[in-house]
Amino acid sequence: MSKKGLETQRNYPLRKKCKEFFWGGWCMQTLWNYERQMNTAFMWGISKTLDRLYPDPEDLEKKKERYNAALEFFNITPQCGAFVLGLTAAMEEEYAEHPDTFNPEMITNVKTALMGPLSGIGDSLFQGTVRIIAMSIGISLAQKGSILGPIIAMLISFAVSFPITWFGGKLGYVKGQEVIRQISENNLMDKVMYGCSIAGLIVVGGMCATLVNITTPIVYNETLVLQDVLNGIMPCLIPLCLTGIMYYFVKKGVHPIVIVISCFVVGIVLNYFGILAV
Amino acid sequence: MLLNAFVIGLIAVFGRLDSRMLGRLNFERPLITCTLVGLFLGDLKTGLAVGASMEMVSLGFMSIGASGFDMNMGSIVGCAIVIMTGSDISTALAIATPMTLLSTLIETGADILRISMTHMIDSSVEAGNFKRAKTINIVWGPMLYSICYFIPVFIAVYFGADLINLINDFIPEFVLNGVTLGANLVAFFGFAMLLSVIINKKNAIFFFFGFALAAYSGLSLTGIAIIAIIFAVILYQLKYDNNSKVQTADGSIDELDELDD
Repeated sequence: MSKKGLETQRNYPLRKKCKEFFWGGWCMQTLWNYERQMNTAFMWGISKTLDRLYPDPEDLEKKKERYNAALEFFNITPQCGAFVLGLTAAMEEEYAEHPDTFNPEMITNVKTALMGPLSGIGDSLFQGTVRIIAMSIGISLAQKGSILGPIIAMLISFAVSFPITWFGGKLGYVKGQEVIRQISENNLMDKVMYGCSIAGLIVVGGMCATLVNITTPIVYNETLVLQDVLNGIMPCLIPLCLTGIMYYFVKKGVHPIVIVISCFVVGIVLNYFGILAV
Repeated sequence: MLLNAFVIGLIAVFGRLDSRMLGRLNFERPLITCTLVGLFLGDLKTGLAVGASMEMVSLGFMSIGASGFDMNMGSIVGCAIVIMTGSDISTALAIATPMTLLSTLIETGADILRISMTHMIDSSVEAGNFKRAKTINIVWGPMLYSICYFIPVFIAVYFGADLINLINDFIPEFVLNGVTLGANLVAFFGFAMLLSVIINKKNAIFFFFGFALAAYSGLSLTGIAIIAIIFAVILYQLKYDNNSKVQTADGSIDELDELDD
C-alpha cells in the first residue's frame, strides 16, 4: 500500500534525515506539558518521516494511527532524544514495509524502555557533569573579571551537546535495533554512568567545600575565635554540615519553595545575631 | 529606558528559547545571560560578577524531567537593575528571589495552558490536519514561552529601577546582608539536590574525596574539575579494561590448544 512512500523514505538523503532527528532532539521542549510532557515535540520530530512513509490519501488512517502513537507520553534529555527519534524512524520504516509481521507496539515499548535510562544518563551527563564542570570553570574565570569565563563554558557545553545529538540520531537510525541489543549486552549504560558519576561527584564535592565560603564570626571573650577552632577540626566544616542538612531535607521531600523561603528567613536571623556570615 | 527594557526582554527570551529549541545549550544560565546584559548595558565587569554569583547560587538546581526550578529570569532582571541603578551586587540576589517565585507561578499557569494545546494537537491529528498539529508545537509553543518571559522581564526592568531605589532607601542593612547569607544557604540546597541524584552508597566516597581535596589543598575549581576527569578515566580503565585483558589471555591459550590438533 505504501510502496511509493517506502521508496521515498528509503531514497531520502541520510544527512537530511539526521538533521530532522537532530532538531527534533534539540527542540524537545517546545510544548512541555504536565499531561504527556514532551509528546508533541517527539511527534514533530518524527512527523517528516511519517509524512514521507504515508503520502497517499489511502494511507490516511495509517498515518493518523502513527501520529497518535507518536503523541504518547515522552520524556528524555533533549540531546538523547535524537537517538530515540532515529531509532523510531528505523522501526517505522520496518513497520511500513511489513505491517503484517511487525508489531507496532514494539515501537512504543522500545521508546518507553529507552526513556528512563537515557534520561538518567543524559540528565546526569549534561546537567550534572558537563554543565557543572563548564560553569565551575566559567565562574572562576568570571569572578576574576574575564569574559573567557562564559565563552569557555559555552564552548564546553556545545562541544558535548552537538556530537551526542547528531551522532546519536545517526546511530539510532543506521544501527536500529542492533543498538538496543548491544547496549544491554555490554552494560554500556552502567559503564557510562560509572565514569560520569565519579567525575561529577568529585567536582560537586569540591564545589560544596569552596564555592560558598560561610564562616562564623563568633568570638568568645575576645580571644577564642570559633572559626579557628572549627578549622582545626577540619577546614570548610560549616559548608559540610550545611550540605548534610540540606541533603536530609531533599531526601525528606520538602518542597523547594519552602526551603528557599526558609533559607532567606534563617539567613536574615542568623546574620542579625552574628552566628553565620558569608 | 524603554530600549533597555526591550532589549533585555529579548535577551531573556533568547535564554528561554535556548532550553526549548537549542537543547538547553546553557545559554539560559545566569552566567551567560548576565554577561550579555552587562555587554549591552556597557558594564561587562558587573555583568560578569553578577553572573558568576547568580550562577553559583543556582548551580545545583537541576530540571529532572519536570520543568525545573531555576533563577534564570530573576538573574537577568537582578543584573539589569544592579547595573542601571549602580547598586551593590547583593541587590541582584534580593531581586532575583521574588522574581524566581513569580516565574514559577507564571510557568505553572502556562503549563496548564499547554495541556489544552496538547489536546488541540490531538484533535488536529484526528481531523487529519497534520500541518496544524505541527505548527502548534513548533510555533505556538515557543511563542507562549517567549511571551511568558518577555512581559515580566520587560515590566520589571522598565519600572524596577525606580522601585528598587525606593526599596534600597527603606530596607535596613541587616535585611540586605541577611538576604545575601540566605541566598548562599540556598546554594547548598542546590548542591544537595544535585547530590541526591548522583550519589549512592557505593560512590559516596568520591564526593568526600573531592571535598577533602578542595578543603585541604585550596586548589581552584578548574584544577579540581581536571583532576576529577583524569580520575574518572583512570578508574574506568582499571575497572573495564582489566576484563578484556583477562579475556585475551584466555583466548590465546585456546588458540595454542587448537594448534595441537
